[in-house]
Amino acid sequence: MTRADKLLIVAILLCALFGLAKIYRHFFTPLDQLFPAQATITAEGNVVRTIDLDPAGGKLTLQVSGRLGPATVEVDRGKVRMLAANCPNQICVKQGWIQNPGASIVCLPGEIIIHLDGPATVDAVTR
Amino acid sequence: MFSTRRLVYLSLLLAMATALHVLEGLFPIPLPFPGVKLGLANIITLLILYLYDLRAGLTVAIARVFLGSLLGGTFLAPGFFLALTGAVVSTLIMALLVNKTDCFSPLGISLAGAVGHNLGQLVMASLLLQNQAIFFYLPVLLLAAIPTGLVTGYILQKLLERLEKTGLLPELTRNGG
Repeated sequence: MTRADKLLIVAILLCALFGLAKIYRHFFTPLDQLFPAQATITAEGNVVRTIDLDPAGGKLTLQVSGRLGPATVEVDRGKVRMLAANCPNQICVKQGWIQNPGASIVCLPGEIIIHLDGPATVDAVTR
Repeated sequence: MFSTRRLVYLSLLLAMATALHVLEGLFPIPLPFPGVKLGLANIITLLILYLYDLRAGLTVAIARVFLGSLLGGTFLAPGFFLALTGAVVSTLIMALLVNKTDCFSPLGISLAGAVGHNLGQLVMASLLLQNQAIFFYLPVLLLAAIPTGLVTGYILQKLLERLEKTGLLPELTRNGG
């Protein structure tokens, strides 16, 4: 075995280990870290705001104006809720916090939709 | 230049390479990684590169894959194409190292050939699957190529030493007759 042989072995070993480390770190990263969830807020058919949801993120309130006037949406540590709205039944407000990808809050009278997108943490949910 | 002696010796080597190729296919290595094997037939390819030239090595490598797959029943199956590209790429790389460098021993050249085999295989696999994700498998194959390449290289080194001792080498490579 010559010096060049040993160098070749070390080079291949390093390549292999580097590749393995890179790939397996990718494999073992939870999907929601690779693709963070997003909240899309739609008012009267138009997307008015897209917010990245970070479970470690802070509090944020924003005004959305729908058909019945302004509504308040609150975002807190990756969760979203309708804080206040002008609609008669207040269904959207009573629904409370949503945080799982695929969940949504719909205010029909106000025509405001909050929808969470992101990699599903479960395959399907039946209710 | 046509030489009957060369033809006969290359044919014998081709027969040996085919036998090794088929034998190896019969004994899967009990590891949870498909595609990892010793590459015993590569010993013959590299021996030919040492004794003869690139053309002889390439011919025998390709013919070996054809004959081996016909005997093993994998002719024109995906494994056949993987073996073919792997054999061609590894032969080219080893020929380059044998002819253009003199700092590598048979161990290093065999190792480079094993790595070349993996690269060729994966390129063909990604073409067959029409998907580049198969390259995620490369580090596993590279890791496996180190011991297998070194083992086959070691066997070749011993083989060359023995051939040297018998004094048959000039007879093997003589062109006349």
